[in-house]
Amino acid sequence: MSQSSEGSASMEGLSALVDGELGSDAGARACAQWREDPQARAQWHAYALIGDVMRSEDLASPVDRDCAFLARLRARLADEPVVLAPAELPAPVELPAVAVAAGGSRRGWRTPVAVAAGFVVVAGALVATSVPGSLPFGGNPATVAQSGAASAVAVAPSPLRAVSVAQDSEPVRLNGQLIRDARLDEYLSVHKKFGGSSAPGVPSGFLRNAAAEAPAR
Amino acid sequence: MSMTTPDADAPLIERIKRGDVKAFEMLVVKYQRRIERLIGRMVRDTDLVQDIAQETFIRAYRAIPQFRGESAFYTWLYRIAVNAAKKALVEMKRDPIVTESARASRDEDDETSRVENELTNGETPEALLASKEIAATVNASIDALSEDLRQAITLREIEGLSYEEIAEVMNCPIGTVRSRIFRAREAIALKLRPLLDTREGDRW
Repeated sequence: MSQSSEGSASMEGLSALVDGELGSDAGARACAQWREDPQARAQWHAYALIGDVMRSEDLASPVDRDCAFLARLRARLADEPVVLAPAELPAPVELPAVAVAAGGSRRGWRTPVAVAAGFVVVAGALVATSVPGSLPFGGNPATVAQSGAASAVAVAPSPLRAVSVAQDSEPVRLNGQLIRDARLDEYLSVHKKFGGSSAPGVPSGFLRNAAAEAPAR
Repeated sequence: MSMTTPDADAPLIERIKRGDVKAFEMLVVKYQRRIERLIGRMVRDTDLVQDIAQETFIRAYRAIPQFRGESAFYTWLYRIAVNAAKKALVEMKRDPIVTESARASRDEDDETSRVENELTNGETPEALLASKEIAATVNASIDALSEDLRQAITLREIEGLSYEEIAEVMNCPIGTVRSRIFRAREAIALKLRPLLDTREGDRW
């Protein structure tokens, strides 16, 4: 237990966090304290244990066992990808290198495409077959920004995690802000086949949506 | 837990979804005992109980982007634990599911069945003694609390009321509720300290 009143106040924050009764700023401070202060971690364990024992005495567990459980799990968690890391989200203007390269090469195609209508069909088919993974091949900024955001949802080491996240059909919201929307991804993926470089083909609402993601990071 | 309030774990879950793995560890510390007990009621193999509990939390961590708060986090975690236990049992081709009658007899406050129950969860006699000491200390500490503190922490931990609801019941400001619950926990934790803190916290 902390001796200072400041320490006591922060432990009170931890106590409120156990109950989910702390605002986001104070919650962030309490979590930081938990990360940095072994005493705070011990106290968190004590608070949780007290609640468990009050509800059922057979939940009284020796501290060594609880510690060993967490230590073992930590080792496994270290091998897990961080499933969501919006802090890693690129800003909408920072296009992924692949997307820039792809966009550049597609712009290179535009001239011959404009010359011969038959080439449009061929190029369209090429694009359509190259985007099933829905990663950044879109020529318009909104599409690229959205794809960039999607690619940052899961981070290394396991890119497979991104797939499982993308299968979620509901929008993910944090603090009421849209982080990503699998349905929107699907919509964009389908419309890339038609849109290509046609900016007017994408409603301006998506541009606003991509910009509005920035504060969520 | 609470039927009347939003999930108390929502703030931590938001942080986990933003990549804060330490916030997940906080939930592990909070729920590990309950999850182990749950699995221990389905699986007799003492080593397997721990393994399945670990697997439960790993699965929960992987799936947390899909958790949308439609149920309480613990309810969701409970389901993952049950499924992990069932899967492990199938894989082990065993049949250690405790029958309803066996579970009922365990729940009786009979000393023999109680010891048996705890020993099936891999408890050594020393660990069992330590557990009993912890339980006795918590109970004695609660008895020693002032009426206000005891009522506040009981309404929170046993009844699952929110601070706002407790404030209504106790006819005091929410800040007072928060302070009373904290002071109650601190008083109990202080008594528990010799049992929990023998190596001065650095283990956490």
